[in-house]
Amino acid sequence: MSQHILILALMVGIANWVFRYGPTRLSRGAGQGAGALARFLSATGPAAIATLVVASTLPMANATQVLPLVMGVGAVLVLWVWRRSVMIATLGGALAYALTTFAAAST
Amino acid sequence: MSNALPSTVRSGLVTALPIAMGYFPIAFAFGVAATGAGLSAAEAFALSLIIYAGASQFLALALITSGAPLLVAAFTLIAMNLRHVLYGPALLKAAGEAASTRHAWAWAWGLTDEVFGAALGEVARGRQFSEPFMFGLGLGAYASWLAGTLVGALAGGGALADWPVVQAGLSFMLPALFLSLLLSILTRPQVPVIAVAGLATVAGTLAVSGTAGILAGMIAGAAAGTLRRGRA
Repeated sequence: MSQHILILALMVGIANWVFRYGPTRLSRGAGQGAGALARFLSATGPAAIATLVVASTLPMANATQVLPLVMGVGAVLVLWVWRRSVMIATLGGALAYALTTFAAAST
Repeated sequence: MSNALPSTVRSGLVTALPIAMGYFPIAFAFGVAATGAGLSAAEAFALSLIIYAGASQFLALALITSGAPLLVAAFTLIAMNLRHVLYGPALLKAAGEAASTRHAWAWAWGLTDEVFGAALGEVARGRQFSEPFMFGLGLGAYASWLAGTLVGALAGGGALADWPVVQAGLSFMLPALFLSLLLSILTRPQVPVIAVAGLATVAGTLAVSGTAGILAGMIAGAAAGTLRRGRA
């Protein structure tokens, strides 16, 4: 195994563990109540996930991928409203994206 | 009032199923991409085992293959994962004052974007936060990530070359998962937060870089939520 890759993985992995675990100890109680920090933390979840939705779809927003993207996002929305299941919405969205990509490539 | 949903390791594992089903193909794609980029199966598996952060693992492949210096690559990847700092406190805030963190050193490792989103959604739906539940939730997702990576790495770099439809579906799995998780925690008061986060992400990405866009979106969205509620 490459030493370079192993060292890189260890540096990033240790940082990830510190990022994920550290704040659960350091800020214990700091996020409770109705203060500014509590409001900030309450908004963090939706903000983080919304950011990741945009960041992951932005590279797909080009001319060749826009139709599959619209179909994929549409399928996720429809399936979520219909079934309220993260798994069904995710898999259905991916399927719609794949099939639209295939159809677009075939025409 | 709690609706008595179980908070055991088993219920955590069950809750992890959608994530595991989403993770496996993405990790498979990572394993395929890693070996396609010249890494060995062991190196691909090590990245998933030690880093365990999907988006930054794909970025790591690009940095490794481009010959980026070690410190530059490490700094870039670490900066990309800075957002995880916010997850533990946000989850514990939702869980309430009685939430235990005695074994957080173990379950917090599994606080990926999707596990965090799923845990937050479960707490919002009335499930009581517990460390065994978090451990089960994290373990299910982690095991799937590792298994998918291993299978993909062993399949080899050209495994999906003859399957363009599968390849296309896999490429949309992560966005679909993020969107589903967002819908699962969506409430009306959070709409402005989501809008600001989305706009800041686009602006940061176009103006600077994808990593800058992610950080800008998260911080701007959370700040917007703080200010809006503060004025109410």
